[in-house]
Amino acid sequence: MLDYLRLEVRRTLRDVGFVIGGVAMPVLMYLLFTNLGGDDGGWKTGAMVGMAGYGAVGSALNTGGGVAEDRAIGWLRQLRVTPMTPREVVIGRTLTGSVTVLPAILAVLAAGGLINGVRLDAWQWAAVAGLLWLGSVPFTLLGLGNGYRLTGQTTGVTNMVCNLGLSVLGGLWFPISLFPHWLRSVSQYTPTNRFAELGTSVAVGRAPAFGAIAVLTLWMLAFGSYAVLSYRRSGRTV
Amino acid sequence: MTQTENAAVSFTGAVKTFGTVRAVDGVDLEIAAGETVALLGRNGAGKSTTISLLLGLDEPDEGTVWLFGAPPERAVRAGRVGAMLQEGRAVPRVTVQELVSFVARRYPEPMPVARALQLAGIPELAGRRVDRLSGGQTQRVRFAVALAGNPSVIVLDEPTAALDVEARHAFWASMRSYARLGHTVLFSTHHLEEADAHADRILVIDHGRIVADGTGEQLKRAVGGSLVAFDLGGRSTAGLELLPGVRSVEVRGDRARLRSDDPDATVIALAELHAIRGLEVAPASLDDAFLALTAAPVKEAA
Repeated sequence: MLDYLRLEVRRTLRDVGFVIGGVAMPVLMYLLFTNLGGDDGGWKTGAMVGMAGYGAVGSALNTGGGVAEDRAIGWLRQLRVTPMTPREVVIGRTLTGSVTVLPAILAVLAAGGLINGVRLDAWQWAAVAGLLWLGSVPFTLLGLGNGYRLTGQTTGVTNMVCNLGLSVLGGLWFPISLFPHWLRSVSQYTPTNRFAELGTSVAVGRAPAFGAIAVLTLWMLAFGSYAVLSYRRSGRTV
Repeated sequence: MTQTENAAVSFTGAVKTFGTVRAVDGVDLEIAAGETVALLGRNGAGKSTTISLLLGLDEPDEGTVWLFGAPPERAVRAGRVGAMLQEGRAVPRVTVQELVSFVARRYPEPMPVARALQLAGIPELAGRRVDRLSGGQTQRVRFAVALAGNPSVIVLDEPTAALDVEARHAFWASMRSYARLGHTVLFSTHHLEEADAHADRILVIDHGRIVADGTGEQLKRAVGGSLVAFDLGGRSTAGLELLPGVRSVEVRGDRARLRSDDPDATVIALAELHAIRGLEVAPASLDDAFLALTAAPVKEAA
């Protein structure tokens, strides 16, 4: 299984589209958003967590794109005639997702610390990175659900729509304080908003609120069920 | 059919339907360890479904399919099976070495990667990215993937589809060197010559059933009869089927084609009728055998 993880991580990191879209883009957008016009240090920190979160969501969803591609080229079917069990393949893929979100998170945090001069305690850096990492699991599951259900092309489009929609709505791009009131209340129920909240609360020195963890856990269960259902449905065609 | 314990592959009354189509319609077959067998049929005859059943990728609706005396899934888990599936494409962003060694390590007793690449005839491609190879090279990488685990049985679904003549030859040479090591090989094809040239035994499948089973020579003999063809020159065909040796009569345009068990006697009888015009006598070919065995309407080239 570690072998499979290593193979798939390697394949993901060799994907130029992934490196540019999933890692370089969030960093560039972060630097752009925080350096155009004057602003206080708070936005630099908030946007850092938001963009790290955005990159993580994109990378997590990208795992699903990989699954759709592997289905299309018959690689998953080929794995089924090796001694690997389907369970190992699915777990391996999920772990791949959890490894490939790291470059985006680390790159944006590095840009915040090294370029934008964001100052946090060592434990805060570690906690922000760790929470964003753990919190990305629901999005990996959403991506897998798409990847096992849809064709390669529709998976790409669906992932992009999920990524942009959830990111903007969840306030990863712009703070939700800029949203009209009704949209702000919707935003608080999105997984992305609560995902970012994990990081932002730590960055200002507080523990994440119970509500954030609860909402995110519910989304994780929902996306997890979606992934399982999609996988079962694909069983006959993989 | 007796069910032997050591059969590598054994189907008993296997049926697989998709909607209203009986893709596999009551297949009984047995393949002994060490045989090289061709599964021959036209497109849509049921070859790929048979192979899916054999590999445990599909389950039969009726009947049983066994691999080494157990459900296929168990043989697959035990690492006794290697396969080259139809329509598998290059795995992007890995090198040949990475891919083949990854698959090899899934198996309990794999062969060294270098050996697999050598058998597949691609030792020089080890460091190349799989998605940057030609079609023929990709096909041989997929062959290396199939044999990397050193499985007891290897299953190849239309392995030479989309290969040019040269790549085809190279591929079969590789396959034969693997089979010579005593492994069981089953491959599907719709090319008669491939089945005849590279298999010890040919299973002809049509409409989901095995319609013939034997060596190329046996199949030709089973269909029986040489071809005796001549121009009718306006003569009636009445009574031709009563001539000595004649089994069947077929008329195309002005030409009669007789299938005869005793072509000498048939020709003598035709001579007595003064019917010899543009006479042609030919032994049964494997093509004839195949066409006679498979029921679908035949389009004949001139």
